[in-house]
Parts: sequence; C-alpha cells; structure tokens
Amino acid sequence: MSNSRIMAIASGGGHWVQLLRLRPAFDDMDVFYVSLDPSSATDVPDRIYYTVREASRKQKLGFFIAGAQLLWIMLKERPRVVITTGSAPALISLILAKYVLRAKTIWIDSIANAECLSKSGQKAGQFADIWLTQWPELAGDGPDKPNYWGAVL
Amino acid sequence: MIFVTIGSMFPFDRLIREMDRWANDNRRYDVFAQIGNGDYIPANMDYVRKLSQSDFTYTMAKAEVIVAHAGMGTVITAGQIGTPLVLLPRIHAWGEHTSDHQIATANWLRDKPRVFLADTDADLSRAIQLALQTGKDGADRFSDKADPAFTNRLRTAILDYMR
Repeated sequence: MSNSRIMAIASGGGHWVQLLRLRPAFDDMDVFYVSLDPSSATDVPDRIYYTVREASRKQKLGFFIAGAQLLWIMLKERPRVVITTGSAPALISLILAKYVLRAKTIWIDSIANAECLSKSGQKAGQFADIWLTQWPELAGDGPDKPNYWGAVL
Repeated sequence: MIFVTIGSMFPFDRLIREMDRWANDNRRYDVFAQIGNGDYIPANMDYVRKLSQSDFTYTMAKAEVIVAHAGMGTVITAGQIGTPLVLLPRIHAWGEHTSDHQIATANWLRDKPRVFLADTDADLSRAIQLALQTGKDGADRFSDKADPAFTNRLRTAILDYMR
C-alpha cells in the first residue's frame, strides 16, 4: 500500500533552476514537480507537473489560495517526501507535509542567501526534517542552525 | 542581441533606465529587455514585461551578452550556457530588494570567469565593453548538475525515508 512518491517544489526563477540542478538526487524515483510558471513543465518532461500561484508572506489572500492549491495537490498525490529550494509557497507545502500527511521534509535554502537565511528559510527550520543552508558559514550544530551538506554550484 | 533582465519579482528601473541610455549612446539597436513591473518604459530598446520560464531560457541562450540584476536564476542559467554576464546588484536602501543579498552574491562572483561586475551605474559601460570583448564560449561553462557528493547525500536521505 505504501507509495514512494516524492514532491519536488520551488518558486520560479532561481529557486526552480536550483531545484533542477539537484535532480540526480531523485529524478529516477517516483517524483512529481510543483512550481509557479506553466512553461516550466518543459523542463521536466514525462513527469507530472503542477503550478500554484505566487504566495508572498505579505499578501494574505494569495497565501490562502496557494495553500488551498497545495493541499489539494498533496492530498491527491500523497508524497512521502517533500524536497524544496524555497520560497514562500514551498514553506506552506512543508507545513502541510508535516501536519497533514506526516511526510518527511527537506528544505534547502537558496544559494542567494549567503549572509543570512531567507525569512521562509528561517521559519522552515521547525518544519523540516532536514534543514540545509548552502553556505557553511551559516551552518551550525544546534537545533536553531541549519546544516551544510553542499551547494548547487 | 544583448539581453537585459531583472528577474520577475520586483522592478529594477535603475538598470532599465541605464541600459536604455546605453543603447542610445552606443547605437545598439539589438538590446532586448525584460523589465518586470517597473514604471520606466524604454525608448531605445525592445522590451517585454515578463517572459515565460522557457522563453527566458531560450532568450538567454541566444544572447551575445546578458546584463542583469545579481539574481541566482540568471547567474546559474548564464553559467550553464557560457554567456558573458554583466551584473548590477540591487540595493536594499533604494527599495530595489528586501535585503542586500545581491551585493553578497555579486562579491562572491567578482572573479569568476565570464562575470563582469558593475558595482555602480558608472561601471556598467566598461563592464559591458569587457563582456562583449570576451564573447561566448562553451568551454568553461558549468554542468547543469550540482556536485554529486551533495546530490548523493540527499539521495541517500530520501531513500532512507522510503524504507
């Protein structure tokens, strides 16, 4: 009965480009993708690809709609692992993964954040089973610091 | 074609205005810009508000030189196709982004091949000149995959969760 589905999610632009660079970690598994731009489907041919709307933390309605879209997708696909390179919509998906699906969650903060974690990345710490920065300077051993395993570049 | 891009999240009128002036001063009629939701409308270059992700990749690949904000989507894509890149970082104090992380990105990329940094507007023209002289080269472009040590570790963790 147990499926082994993976959800790989990222916002558009740099977040999506970074997620694509991590594909060797999961691309031959039962993975589906979620991002914002319909045309990104061409980057992941032969895979199920969903879009959700942009959700900024400032915009309550957008946040709510993206949350509803993500809930629908995740209840339908029931991923066991959610992996992401950010940002805000991905944070929502981590929360849903944790509390609705009891799935495992992996947050990789964008390589753009060299001096401090993104705001979403800071919040992700409490919902991520694996919580990573791409900058060793930002990593630490305590529960309030992300780990460093490497970088997309 | 010279492609000017400021990403898709926030406007960056300073770069668009400077490049519009540069195109006119240098009589370059083949400058194309993605201007986002900025207020400044270019008079001397073709523009679009936002390209789809696939059109963006296509335009990046066709460009002779890319002039951009210091966003990682642009930086990584340019590196993967070996196109010279001129970067003008967004400045938080001027309302161009939510933090100064683009200055950190720019400093990190300062001495990388095929990257030409403009710390200020005044440096743009010279940076573009150097980028045009350098030209495209696929030889030192980087692979489209992350370091295998990193992806293997992620892979092991994912497989562990599937047990």
